[in-house]
Amino acid sequence: MSVTETVDIERIRTFVAVRRAARPARRAALSLALPLVGFLIVAFIAPILYLLVTAVDNPETRSILPRTLTALESWDGVSTPDEPVFAALAADLKLAKEDSTASQAGKRLNYEIPGMRSKVLAASRMAAGLEAGPYREKFLDQSEIWAAPETWSVIRRNGAGLTPYYLLTAVDLQQSPSGGIEGVAPDQAIFLPILGRTLLVAGIVTGLTLILGYPVAYVLTIAPRTIAAVMMLMVLLPLWTSLLVRTTAWVVLLQSDGVINAVLMALHLTTEKVQLIFTRFGTVTAMTHIQLPFTILPIYSVMRSIQPTQLRAARSLGAGPTSAFWRIYAPQTLPGVVAGCLMTFILSLGYYITPALVGGPQDQMVSNFISVYINRDLNWGLAAALGVVLLLVTLAIYGLFLRLVGADKIKLG
Amino acid sequence: MWLPSYATPSERLSRILVVAFAVAVMLFLIAPLFIIVPLSFSKDPFFTLPVREYSLRWYEDLFGNPRWFEAMINSAVAAVLTTILATTLGTLAALGIARPDFPYRRAIMALLISPMIVPIVIVAVGSYLFFGEFGLTNTRAGLVLAHTALATPFVVITVTATLSTYDTNLTRAANSLGASGLSAFFRVTLPNILPGVISGAIFAFATSFDEVVVALFLTAAEQRTLPVQMFSGIRDQINPTIMAAATMLLILSILLFAALALLTRKKAR
Amino acid sequence: MNAMPADTFTTVRSEDALVRFSQVKKSYDGIHYVVKDLNLDVAKGEFLTMLGPSGSGKTTTLMMLGGFERPTLGQILLNGNPVERLPPERRNIGFVFQNYALFPHMTVAENVAFPLRYRGIRGAAAGAKVARALGRVGLEAMGDRRPAQLSGGQQQRVALARALVFEPSLVLMDEPLGALDKQLRERMQIEIKHLQTSLGITMVYVTHDQSEALTMSDRIAVFHDGRIQQLADPKTLYNAPENRFVAGFIGENNTMPCTFVGREAGLAVVRMADGATLRAADTLLSGGKAELSLSVRPENIGLASGQPNGPGNLFSGQVTDMFFLGDHMRLSVAAFGGQTVTARIPVGQVRGIAVGGTVHLACSPADCRLLED
Repeated sequence: MSVTETVDIERIRTFVAVRRAARPARRAALSLALPLVGFLIVAFIAPILYLLVTAVDNPETRSILPRTLTALESWDGVSTPDEPVFAALAADLKLAKEDSTASQAGKRLNYEIPGMRSKVLAASRMAAGLEAGPYREKFLDQSEIWAAPETWSVIRRNGAGLTPYYLLTAVDLQQSPSGGIEGVAPDQAIFLPILGRTLLVAGIVTGLTLILGYPVAYVLTIAPRTIAAVMMLMVLLPLWTSLLVRTTAWVVLLQSDGVINAVLMALHLTTEKVQLIFTRFGTVTAMTHIQLPFTILPIYSVMRSIQPTQLRAARSLGAGPTSAFWRIYAPQTLPGVVAGCLMTFILSLGYYITPALVGGPQDQMVSNFISVYINRDLNWGLAAALGVVLLLVTLAIYGLFLRLVGADKIKLG
Repeated sequence: MWLPSYATPSERLSRILVVAFAVAVMLFLIAPLFIIVPLSFSKDPFFTLPVREYSLRWYEDLFGNPRWFEAMINSAVAAVLTTILATTLGTLAALGIARPDFPYRRAIMALLISPMIVPIVIVAVGSYLFFGEFGLTNTRAGLVLAHTALATPFVVITVTATLSTYDTNLTRAANSLGASGLSAFFRVTLPNILPGVISGAIFAFATSFDEVVVALFLTAAEQRTLPVQMFSGIRDQINPTIMAAATMLLILSILLFAALALLTRKKAR
Repeated sequence: MNAMPADTFTTVRSEDALVRFSQVKKSYDGIHYVVKDLNLDVAKGEFLTMLGPSGSGKTTTLMMLGGFERPTLGQILLNGNPVERLPPERRNIGFVFQNYALFPHMTVAENVAFPLRYRGIRGAAAGAKVARALGRVGLEAMGDRRPAQLSGGQQQRVALARALVFEPSLVLMDEPLGALDKQLRERMQIEIKHLQTSLGITMVYVTHDQSEALTMSDRIAVFHDGRIQQLADPKTLYNAPENRFVAGFIGENNTMPCTFVGREAGLAVVRMADGATLRAADTLLSGGKAELSLSVRPENIGLASGQPNGPGNLFSGQVTDMFFLGDHMRLSVAAFGGQTVTARIPVGQVRGIAVGGTVHLACSPADCRLLED
């Protein structure tokens, strides 16, 4: 045994001993956080995971048309299926009619074959009245949709418990009949533009809060103490005010009989009422107002830590006021700018209330569509899939935030 | 303060412009909040300034109409329960995180903060679907669970910040003087970090009391909270009682904020 | 020309003065003056230290010279030109700040190159100058590091290199060594002094550390209460303090009240509180004041037996305290009717002395100075 080996073993032993000695303290520290971690897993992580599952869950066809799916196993995939498949379908639909589940299956198939819902309902009514076969001709007589191999491949495909359909739809993709993935027709692409709009509005809001907030943060650092304290109150109070109250205020300000229009008319800047509410302008203005403190606070916190001698040193070395500001001061505020802007961008992505109340149809963000698919269209799978897309985008930027800034750097005033 | 004494004339001018710009931005921040106050006292059912005639009719409706009044009570109950849960869980977790031996700090901190980050609609829809499996939708328990998850990051952040200035030798001193772990915590640690705990509690209360989206998904008519009542009011038809409710919420925010400001001032002393 | 009488400008002739403060006053609130009527010339090539306790006005004076504060009244001349209204970037003065003020977002080399860009020096010429400046402070290999990666002493040197790289004729330093530990501080004192003499720069240095001032300076201006109490070379300052503040601030001193009796053989004769008469160097300027202080340093007081026949002042007292300090003993002696006199006695001479016992002490009249205030 060589000398280096013994040294290595010694080192490993020491390392193990150190780890072992630290273990009780680590466990004690961790155990304090465990109740919250456990709580969040149950009340926060589990619902989000459930949402992810909902986005790929595909129970309808499987549970409502089980016989049909079994019969389809021997189908060649290109021709109209033979009598046994139609007999199985008739049996499934008869039961579905009795359980009133036919509309569920129809709705699910309708996502992928337009018009399928009414066809399935009609077929189930017909099947309920049929005592014996042959069924094939009766189905084919009722609608040529039952003759199309595409119909059957969609049914067969949806026999799987999981489906990529909702997730693909949420990013404007679809499965071709052959099984490959392709983009939807450009005129049917709606969700990527919505995501793009969400990113655009978040970007504009972030940029505006930076332009408006940076000078405020700077003035906060140079103002005498009492004035700075009052100014700080003015920045923090909006943060403390209910989001709904602030949005309500903007509804009142922006509406056509509202305060802004009244002022504009009184100043003779306009003779007609300007449409402000339900516009992109209104949405961006209200969101900028709400997000400003989130951008200001991290910038201010960094600015306050910059020593005044930094600027003095720059000046003594020959830099003029402008040059000293841009070369010495501004670069040092960058961490605050990054923290504030990323925070505002992340939070802006998830806006729901403000676009819903202040924005027009063209200003609705991903969140609003999620809500619409849950509440109005009852298409939970698509709502969940849109949620997954929004969550992934948000988490990607949160990841960037964690790398560049760190979760422990978040401060509240 | 405003200017270094060596400022050049051009520097002075640009400084005046910057300060003027900042003051304008501050007005933009503050003025919209107070626009609702005079409107809530208007006798007319529409929102034009100046107010022609003042009255308290919308406040009478707010407190007299059972729908509004129940909504206020519902909000208050949910907020108090949320505050208790979130403050307890958050403070405990912060105590662990503040220890030097805390393992996986970055990852766990990232997890604990994430309820602030995840879009609220995702939380709302996820809770709606998941809690539905357990019959927790349209219950107060479901709402409090979801609100607590949203409120804990605020408690964790404020208490961790306070603990970073807490001298752990105080706990050691208490131990050396005979106090056991728990007794040292309640007699020495807690009194010293109380400002942070209370700020966290105030944040938690405000988070729950003001929250709309989760409440929209998780509540039925019986648990309907004040913000939900306001939201449907604004979306369906603007009922001036909303202005009275908004003014009350604004006053509540100012009171909570003042409490917090007092606390932090005491802490700084 | 100036209306001030010539002798208030001390020893420097005006044509040699690089910097001249003329009746400079500074007040922040219009009531209290931080600097009161400052008149000071700094000669070309000299190392001048402004020494004083905090709040004495020394840093404010330095900031006024650097351009970061504006005098409330009076004039500051740089090379004969008034500069009170000149912004710092146009004064061409090197400034080393208390905590270095290195730019954290730039490398060491970028920090040092920073002043060059404003002087039109770019590219290879700038690189050469940066390399030379860093070489001068022994950091040629550190150019690519960030300030945060350097030790305190290295950061100090970078700050020095940055202030010297554009070859200013005047360099100001505001407590530049305050953040360093004792050993490093002493080494840096010598390095800075070497740089100053080898480059022939004029340096104005602010510190509250008297040993630092004594080590490095050609002249020291002792500040107190907004005024220069004494301006002199280190030896004079140490040996011949002009007033009680300077006597107490520089080194250790026994300062005891006494009354003037008369003159005798070129020496002044004074009476102490207990009636004993002592002789002292006749340093009185006016001689009009009867109530004086007699000041004598502890190391100038010896045992009477050690100075047998000199024309010394002899006195005795009771030992109240004795401390061993390595190379010497420090005695506290109650003499002249209750005055505590401190004496430093070489360890070898201390025999048969104990706390409570009587000791006979002596000091040379030449080491005894009379102070009027």
